[in-house]
Amino acid sequence: MRVFTAAFRFQLALARRKPDTVHVLVTAPLFTLVFVSIGVHAHRPDFTASAVLAPVLMSLWSLALLTAGDLISQDRNRGTLEAIVATPARFATVVLGRLTAVASVALVCFAESWLVAWSCFGVVLTIAHPLVFVSCLVCSSLAMAGTASLLSAAFVLMPSARVLQNTLTYPFYLLGGLLVPVAELPGWLRPLSRLVFLSWSSDLLRASVSGPAGHWWTALAAIVGLGVAGAVSGALLIGAILRRVRRTGTLALT
Amino acid sequence: MSDVDGVGTAEPAVEVRGLARVYDRGRGRNSRQITALDRIDLTVARGEIRGLLGPNGAGKTTLCKILCTVLLPSAGSARVLGHDVTADPVAVKKSVGVVFGGDRGLYGRLDARANLNLWGALHGVHGAALHRQVDALLERVGLADRAEERVDGFSRGMKQRLHLARGMVADPQVLLLDEPTSGMDPVAAHDFRSLVEQLRLEGRTVLLTTHDMAEAEAVCDQVTLMDKGTLLATERPSELSAGLSSLESVEAEDVPESAVGEISELSGVADVKRLSAGRLRVDTESSDVTRQVLQVLVNAGVTSLGTVRPSLEDVYLHYIGRRGMAVRS
Amino acid sequence: MSALTSSFHVVRYSAANAVADFRATYTWRSWTFGWLGRMLAQVTFFATMGLALHSSASAHYLVVGNSVMTCVVEAMTVVTSSAWERRQGTLPLLAASPARLIWVFFGRSLQWPVSGTVTSLVALLGLGPLFGVTWSPGQVPVLVGLVLLTAVSTYCVGLFLAAFVLSASNARNIVSNVGYLVMMAICGVQVPVSFWPDWVGVVAQSLPLTHTLAAVRGVAAHAGAGDIALRAGWAVLAGACWLGAAAVAFTRLQIHARRNGHFSFAE
Repeated sequence: MRVFTAAFRFQLALARRKPDTVHVLVTAPLFTLVFVSIGVHAHRPDFTASAVLAPVLMSLWSLALLTAGDLISQDRNRGTLEAIVATPARFATVVLGRLTAVASVALVCFAESWLVAWSCFGVVLTIAHPLVFVSCLVCSSLAMAGTASLLSAAFVLMPSARVLQNTLTYPFYLLGGLLVPVAELPGWLRPLSRLVFLSWSSDLLRASVSGPAGHWWTALAAIVGLGVAGAVSGALLIGAILRRVRRTGTLALT
Repeated sequence: MSDVDGVGTAEPAVEVRGLARVYDRGRGRNSRQITALDRIDLTVARGEIRGLLGPNGAGKTTLCKILCTVLLPSAGSARVLGHDVTADPVAVKKSVGVVFGGDRGLYGRLDARANLNLWGALHGVHGAALHRQVDALLERVGLADRAEERVDGFSRGMKQRLHLARGMVADPQVLLLDEPTSGMDPVAAHDFRSLVEQLRLEGRTVLLTTHDMAEAEAVCDQVTLMDKGTLLATERPSELSAGLSSLESVEAEDVPESAVGEISELSGVADVKRLSAGRLRVDTESSDVTRQVLQVLVNAGVTSLGTVRPSLEDVYLHYIGRRGMAVRS
Repeated sequence: MSALTSSFHVVRYSAANAVADFRATYTWRSWTFGWLGRMLAQVTFFATMGLALHSSASAHYLVVGNSVMTCVVEAMTVVTSSAWERRQGTLPLLAASPARLIWVFFGRSLQWPVSGTVTSLVALLGLGPLFGVTWSPGQVPVLVGLVLLTAVSTYCVGLFLAAFVLSASNARNIVSNVGYLVMMAICGVQVPVSFWPDWVGVVAQSLPLTHTLAAVRGVAAHAGAGDIALRAGWAVLAGACWLGAAAVAFTRLQIHARRNGHFSFAE
């Protein structure tokens, strides 16, 4: 746990110094402006929940993606990856801790989004089920961290990770039903969509805001389950990579 | 090479008067001023290879930056081929080529030829003239058969040679070489010196900053010693030592202790040092004293002895003190 | 005249850098499946919102706006790639050359508007019909011209911002993203410009995208040629003004750096 906390703090300190990492905090309000304007223009108040919540999940996803990609390649460039690998702390714990910090930064985006909707359009988003809402945000952040650790392992294995990193944004926003609920996507996409935790998160967040939360525990379980699956497979992959590193003695060519 | 827009050849290549540069560092209460150049005067004749020798922080690079117009002076004036760097920077840019050491400043994803084409175009050379010039330069720096390769894959020495070609692509009359051989291996550095020698034969003016004594001695017509933003002296490499005959020294082997004592008491002896393997070195302040020291040694029956002219390094240490190459804080 | 020729050659040889950077970033496969795929997903993301609003007019509006938007996103990458110059240590040498910085930087990142134009056209012509936006063969050349104009004129806006980012290169990604998101919000991409307060509309009129997008929508609605030409004319004027502003910004940057010693050889 101490290792986890230390990694968490380290990533927060890094985020403050590096403007690129906090750039989601700048872009999230602008996305809110764009989405809410579409709903207001179309006279569809029911669209507000999606419009305010989508930027939050987008920030969460892009930030974790950015960090997952940078985490390992930057460490590799600075030569610190070998140093971390050499420390007794479980490497996977370090990665997970750093990513959790990133996820919690993104939660600030929700406050920003809410404020933009209220101050620019006078739209006040009330939350019908605050407890479900908060649990969903917390679980989603953790699931994001879990998924991102899988992504960072994938990035290490793929040399053209940077291009991949760029590609994994909008297709997942679509699949995750961020603006348009999964139920309204073409039928053949739905099973695929359900494998992306974002689809459960966006449905549950909308439900917690606007109406009956329904089977909220099913959704929460799905989010946590997918997050854990990501974290476990990420940890296994990273473990396999590290074993290979110890055998071949270098990360340089991975 | 035509004369640059009618400026008489009588104009020195570089003429610096009372030139000063002060940097502001830090903010608020921590702000302070650093004097990088302290009212210097310097004249470099056309066709001269002038060395600027000094430790890091002496002000060499600041002077180069002012002369190539990327930095404004705080006071005083600097003229290149008669053009004032403040009043007419464009004319200065057209007559100056800049080369600095290290392997940055080139486009790694472009091949050598594309790099030279770009820098040529930036200096207003294009068309057939550019092609001819680029071909000739690639040939000259020995990169003709690597011209179509990406610069990323070049060795440091190759990059350095490409840098020199880049600095010469507009056929400048004046070249500023700022630590051009830093980080070069000895073979590459030797090749580089012969390239500088060619520049002399072509009548170009070169201002070469370095902290390598051997380099300055090998290629420069004159060497200016700098420290803490001031000029200490300007001499030919040989005269610099000769003029400092006050710093002549005598070296001898197997000197009896009595003779060592006698020499130490002579007035005009600056220092007596025991070198390794029984060698003694005596620094004197004038030729007269040197003769006296030699006399004492001969009288004491010492047979292995001789006078040593100070090397550039000795001169340098004499002017700058024992601080050596330490960077000024 | 000779100054013009020299500037042209600077742009031309500087563009070699653009080509080299593009080749180093993408292969044809990673461009097609990586970049193009991502941008088409972005257009789809916004266009499906029209479907969710159960309005084919909205879907139509969103697919056209967001298709044109893709070349804006890419053109604004000039803010990021201009900052690479700092990393390469070439900036002081550029400053020591007699050429004007604006032309170097204009050529330096031309890969983005070119690639962006292709992306936008694929989106308009390939994705548009899926959302009910169809084009006749006669409209295609006009579309190509308008999209190219959008990309190049927005590139000039990006160049203006790039001049500032050169002295604060850590902010390059933020500036580039904020730049295109503001345009996405106010230039008539998602909602008509008239939706916003008047003062926002005034800002929107200064951005070339507002005019070229109106022209593209005009083409889709079979508006008169005069109307479209007028809109295109405004975009050309706006783009030229931004280019002029960028030239001034680069000159000021150079003057400022020369005074304060910000161009470092050893950087």
